[in-house]
Amino acid sequence: MSEPDLATTDPPRSSPRGLDRPFMQRRAEFEEALARNAGARGAEAGASLPRASLWGDAFHRFMKNKASVVAAIAFLLLLAFVIFVPWLSNEDPYAIDFSQAYQSPSWAHPFGTDGFGRDLLIRTALGGRVSFAIGFAATFAIMVVGIVYGATAGFVGGHVDNALMRFLDALYGLPYLPFAIMTLAVFGTVNFWTMVVALTIASWFTTARVMRGQIFTLKQNDYVRAAYAVGAKGPRVLYRHLLVNTLGVIIVFVFLELPGVILGEAFLSFLGLGINPPKASWGTLAQDGYTAYATHPYIIVIPSICIAWLILSAFFIADGLRDALDPRTKET
Amino acid sequence: MLAFIIRRIVWTIPVLLLVILMTFLMMKLIKGNPFQVTERPVPASIQRNLDRKFHLDKPWWVQYLYYVRDTARLDLGPSLVQRNQDVNDVIKEHFPTSIKLGLMAMIFAIVVGIPLGVFAALKHNTALDYTAMGIANLGFALPSFLVATLLIYFFALRLKDYTGLPTNGWEGPSSWVLPTIALGIYPMTYFARLVRGTVLETLQQDYIRTAKAKGLRWRLVVGKHVLRNSLIPAVTAAGPVLGGLITGSFIVETIFGIPGIGKYYVTAVTGRDYSVVMGITVLLSVIIIVANLVVDILYGYLDPRIRDERT
Amino acid sequence: MALLEVEDLRTYFKTREGEVHAVDGVSFEVEEGSVLGIVGESGCGKSVTSLSIMGLVQSPGRVVSGAIRFGGRELTTMSDKELEDIRGKQIAMIFQDPMTSLNPTLTIGTQITETLRRHLGLSKSDADKRAVGLLEEVHIPDAKRRLRDYPHRFSGGMRQRVMIAIALSCDPKLLIADEPTTALDVTVQAGVLELLDELRRDHGMTMIIISHNMGVIAETAEDVLVMYAGQIVEHASVTDLFYRPEHPYTEALLASLPHIEAQDPRHGRLMTIPGRPPDLLVPPEACRFAPRCKYAGRDECATVPPELREIRPGHWVRSQHPASERAAEPVGAR
Repeated sequence: MSEPDLATTDPPRSSPRGLDRPFMQRRAEFEEALARNAGARGAEAGASLPRASLWGDAFHRFMKNKASVVAAIAFLLLLAFVIFVPWLSNEDPYAIDFSQAYQSPSWAHPFGTDGFGRDLLIRTALGGRVSFAIGFAATFAIMVVGIVYGATAGFVGGHVDNALMRFLDALYGLPYLPFAIMTLAVFGTVNFWTMVVALTIASWFTTARVMRGQIFTLKQNDYVRAAYAVGAKGPRVLYRHLLVNTLGVIIVFVFLELPGVILGEAFLSFLGLGINPPKASWGTLAQDGYTAYATHPYIIVIPSICIAWLILSAFFIADGLRDALDPRTKET
Repeated sequence: MLAFIIRRIVWTIPVLLLVILMTFLMMKLIKGNPFQVTERPVPASIQRNLDRKFHLDKPWWVQYLYYVRDTARLDLGPSLVQRNQDVNDVIKEHFPTSIKLGLMAMIFAIVVGIPLGVFAALKHNTALDYTAMGIANLGFALPSFLVATLLIYFFALRLKDYTGLPTNGWEGPSSWVLPTIALGIYPMTYFARLVRGTVLETLQQDYIRTAKAKGLRWRLVVGKHVLRNSLIPAVTAAGPVLGGLITGSFIVETIFGIPGIGKYYVTAVTGRDYSVVMGITVLLSVIIIVANLVVDILYGYLDPRIRDERT
Repeated sequence: MALLEVEDLRTYFKTREGEVHAVDGVSFEVEEGSVLGIVGESGCGKSVTSLSIMGLVQSPGRVVSGAIRFGGRELTTMSDKELEDIRGKQIAMIFQDPMTSLNPTLTIGTQITETLRRHLGLSKSDADKRAVGLLEEVHIPDAKRRLRDYPHRFSGGMRQRVMIAIALSCDPKLLIADEPTTALDVTVQAGVLELLDELRRDHGMTMIIISHNMGVIAETAEDVLVMYAGQIVEHASVTDLFYRPEHPYTEALLASLPHIEAQDPRHGRLMTIPGRPPDLLVPPEACRFAPRCKYAGRDECATVPPELREIRPGHWVRSQHPASERAAEPVGAR
């Protein structure tokens, strides 16, 4: 096919909108020059950005956020406190010695002692272990239940989704504390496992709802349709494409639910429904301290501050994670 | 719009039935005999009479239906432990106190929290913003039992001579102050943070830029354009918050010795007073459901886009 | 004296990584009654320029230096209150996205009358009457009833018309239209442009129209600024620009327009300009277009920043290799 002789064609009269004619010529030149320079200049000018992974990217964003980093450090410090302090000390935390009772914080007892003469530094650390254990266990259970329920509803859709969600709406009508209290009453005793179950039963709703929403919207994406088109089956699609993409949300929720259940446990303990002594959690320690608040306020203040510390650090971590995984949020 | 409201109201009925069912089943699972006040077991013949009187000899679903029927008639039955009291009496005696406390805490939370959030957002990233949010975060993290205890500690013990604020009981306005603050701090921080977020978000919107480009005075832009849009989420959050307040005041009531429903509840559960527990739980659920309903309807009214969607 | 004079305007944005030079030394004048078009790709600074004129640049951005004179008055030194008096009344602006530029919780009527009442002090009934007239002027049917409607009841094109009505409500001397048709369907675009033209002539308004669409500029502007990386790289009348572009960037822009009739099947491919605009955090010291310019030499193009010079009467260009000086040079001889 011969090239039309552009050089000899007269540019025709045209309105400003007929931009093409005079430039077909230049276009030919342009393209030619482009082809020649493509190697040299094209490579550097058109070089694409280095491929980054989603998680590496998120991690860097998280690290840049000062508040989140401080919060993460604070959280880890607290964890270190509850793990190492009892491990490193030789004292028997349960030894009762009334001569030492109600000592204010001092060098010998940095957190003071309680009514039974027991050192509060160790008791607080041990209590932290219990609180954290309950917290993690309950959060894990909430995630499992919430994800299974919500993902099923969102994925299956239709009537099943409707029914499951309506049922969930009804459950929202149950008041939190009374529900937890009743669950504990059903079990008869309050120990680690019953507490975990009670807290889980009262708190899984939000996670389920959010998961359902996530799966539901993600399901609409074209890449899901594409997966089905190449022959992927339901469960594989659910797992590989949908759940993996909700991992970010799940992690954020872990840090949002954890303080919630620990606080819930503290409230229940305060009402007298806590773990049986001598094992203690921050909640039961606070309840112990309550009786003596007038004269020895530190006994209630210390475990409460631990709880507050946890809540604040977890919250800011969750905030930072949320921003790191979804950089579209404009808020600083 | 009316059709929507009616549909929404009608929908609460099955929800309520389900809630009653769940509570009912849970109560049935709790082992123990409400009539057993001492160590000695109740004589068999008396037990049989009591069972018959309270329908406890029938299958559970029959009992459930009896209960629903009675509840619909607003008859929550007699207290199983307090022989001469009806559940309704117990409720009438204790509930208004809890409601009053909840409402006052709510008002405190709104009156303090919302302006705090607005100012923090308008003075974004300045010292005022940081201090306001610092206070909010502290109030949010400290458990309410600590806040309540500290309030009592300082006001009743240390500053007793300066302020006459009582820390126990529920007589007279001065005794309402501390419990209201103790209960209201957490929702106050919730509103403050929520409103700060929504105001910041609204300020980024294109229509605020348009309003400024029109040369409207900034005060007007904030008052009319910004607030109208940012307060809608706060209003819709108010419902569940109020529900949560009334139902979650247990701790504060215990600490301040307030004769509300919270204190009574725990005793009732441990005492196996089935009807009281049922009655209170059902009532609390009704409050939550109604609060959510009102807010849901209100939301449609406030946002013209939703209003149109629903007609 | 021109209605609007912009002299060496610099608007920078403070970010965590440094200062972004969004607008870096822009100067131009707009005569009363004329239409200036500003064209360039996304990020070149054209919108920020218009926002700077209005004083609407939000933190972390700010006008660092330069003068902006409107009707002889210096805008950059005015207080917020004085600017508020000018905005909407003397200078009006319409924005790109009509879907989000109107407050969804207020009626259209309120959004029109609040401007009228603010600047002209009209009573509510007078303002309402005037609002109806304005809606009719922008060809919105059933104007009286529509006053009480909310924005979501209007289509995109109609919302843009409402925005135009609001902008014109106080009879401004200057209208800045920032990408007025970009968010609209192609079929609606023509209508909006026609409306703008009609109103401009009826009201004797001066207009600045900003777009990345060469076709829109060709249709509406009399004078054109081509911006790239925060600077003006070419300034000419519209006909001169389209028929005899000088700057390599302008040429490339024009060449990249898709053509339906491809004369040569080989040239049926869509042309693009390779590479990306420079990072405005650290603007290149020399010519900012050099990395993507096929005429760029390793010599002055990489070391000396080209100045804006008048290559023909009324035609300015910022390049070492404008088209008229290139005719004799062979291509790619570097």
